[in-house]
Amino acid sequence: MIVGLFTRFERAIDDGIGRRKLGYAVLGLVIVFFLWFPNDTSQSNYAKTVFISGFFYAIMSSSWALLAGIAGQFSFGHMAFMGIGAYVAGLIARDGLMFASLGIAITPDSISSVGAIVIGTVAAGLVGLVIGWLLLRLRAAYLALFTIAFSELFRIAMLTEYDYTGGSNGLSLRPLLQVADVDTARQIEYYLMFGLLIACLLVMYRVVHSPIGIFLRAMREDEDAASALGVNVVRYKILVFVFTSMIVGLAGAIFYSDVGSERIIPEQLEVLQMSLIIAYAVIGGMESLIGAAAGAFISRYLLEAMREVVITLPFGLTMADGSDAFVWETGAWRFALFGLVMVFTLRYMRNGLLYPIINWFSGRDLIMKETVAKRKPDGDDLALAEDRDE
Amino acid sequence: MSEINLELNRIAKRFGGNQAVDHVSFSVTKPQLIGMIGPNGAGKTTLTNLMSGMLKPSSGTIYLNGRRIDGRAPYDVTRAGLGRTFQITRALNRMTVMENMLVPGLAHDPGARQADLEARARQILSLLTIDHLTNEFSRALSGGQRKLLELGRLLMLDPSVIILDEPFAGVHPRLQETIYNYIHRVHEDGKAIILISHNMGAVFELSQRLIVLNFGALIADGDPQQVKNDPAVIDAYLGHDEDD
Repeated sequence: MIVGLFTRFERAIDDGIGRRKLGYAVLGLVIVFFLWFPNDTSQSNYAKTVFISGFFYAIMSSSWALLAGIAGQFSFGHMAFMGIGAYVAGLIARDGLMFASLGIAITPDSISSVGAIVIGTVAAGLVGLVIGWLLLRLRAAYLALFTIAFSELFRIAMLTEYDYTGGSNGLSLRPLLQVADVDTARQIEYYLMFGLLIACLLVMYRVVHSPIGIFLRAMREDEDAASALGVNVVRYKILVFVFTSMIVGLAGAIFYSDVGSERIIPEQLEVLQMSLIIAYAVIGGMESLIGAAAGAFISRYLLEAMREVVITLPFGLTMADGSDAFVWETGAWRFALFGLVMVFTLRYMRNGLLYPIINWFSGRDLIMKETVAKRKPDGDDLALAEDRDE
Repeated sequence: MSEINLELNRIAKRFGGNQAVDHVSFSVTKPQLIGMIGPNGAGKTTLTNLMSGMLKPSSGTIYLNGRRIDGRAPYDVTRAGLGRTFQITRALNRMTVMENMLVPGLAHDPGARQADLEARARQILSLLTIDHLTNEFSRALSGGQRKLLELGRLLMLDPSVIILDEPFAGVHPRLQETIYNYIHRVHEDGKAIILISHNMGAVFELSQRLIVLNFGALIADGDPQQVKNDPAVIDAYLGHDEDD
């Protein structure tokens, strides 16, 4: 029986479809693990909190991967859009909203937490629409600089308007859940954030694997060529900005509604935080939603786990204080190590550390073998190879 | 056979003090094979960019099948029925050959089933002898194969007018033959082709009509043999004697 299973496995890895099925099976197991995790009674609420934070950053990085890695819009404005979602949701729930000329009046009593989150999400999308339109003619470094300026502008506005936003103390959003028991609350928050991550990934996956996804990638490769092939670049550029802005606006509004954190602070909107989102996506693989999400989750987890590194000394050696372990409080060094991983990734594995795994499961290397096998044996391709210009 | 009526009326483009295209007028009303030649800097590529929407003209109008297309976005011009290739090939590198073909297919016919478009793409790739590269990333293709891919993408758009900008440049002779066959085939399908090339042999062999540009102005337009003997054309290409 074991031999039979082994043979089937061997066949599966020789076949692209088999590998993809295997990939889905592994993905299924990962999902089962995450569903089971909060039910493990040995796990503390702190561990669940780390996971919740990991899910949030996975949404941030994967949606940035869609915007920058797949659509080619290298934006630094992602955290600002997240902040817009959170701040608008918080301010609406606290102060309400009045459009006298339109006869619209939303009072704090009349709006629920969910309603505030929806308005925060829509607000992030609307700002994304404006920014997307302003960015139409900007590419590469100019686009990045513009979005950095926009992010800083927003952060400073939130920091300065102390009376409304709480300044550096931050803004508390109305809690989304009203559960008295801390353990139960943490469990529900865990599933809420995990569910949101899965939902966002599914929606983004659908987009990437639709004609829109093909147009976005064409736009990333060469805007002029894409346009000459009939792609309305303006429309898709704005669309991807609005779409990803809404995703992160929603994630921010939910996460800071006391699900992952009890308040949004301007410090969260700093360029450094945005750089971390980018770094997570680059390490995981910025052209892959799953890669970027996994990169973010694993990085967050490791950064948390590396706060204190304990190394047990061998051969009966002891420290000066008599302990048999060396304890290293890593402090900011863990970020330095993280930077080192990023440098390695950019230099040697530009598609991300997870790319070889994703590549293997997708059967991409088999396609390359297939192409070589299909080449005509009469030397035609040898002639073509001479023609190669790079 | 689709309608063909491309009309350029006194199209001009100025870059600072440089008159790149100088009030050029011509029309294409039938599925002709038209060669467009001229020395370097004559304005051929600028004129192509003006026709395809990559540049906005300083003055003048362009109509395609009754619709004004000057100043319109390139995607709009493409959808109106004018397709083009680029002098320096612009394959979508990190996309497979099939995905490169699907981009124009889906843009041209959003309601089509992807399976149908893929079947059509395979037929075209087979015609261009690069069907064995269907699932390969286009960055892995040779320069000549990329030229073929660009030509293939055009067929997915099914345009009525096609502008081929230097299709033979830097291409292996064996692939040039494939491009020759492509041009004949597309022409037989009832499309107008404007062929821009420095390969005079190919231009004279293929063209039914020849347009010559010099310093941005149109200096000749007519039968290739007549144009060949036109003193203005000879002057533009060979220069004139100082004593004349």
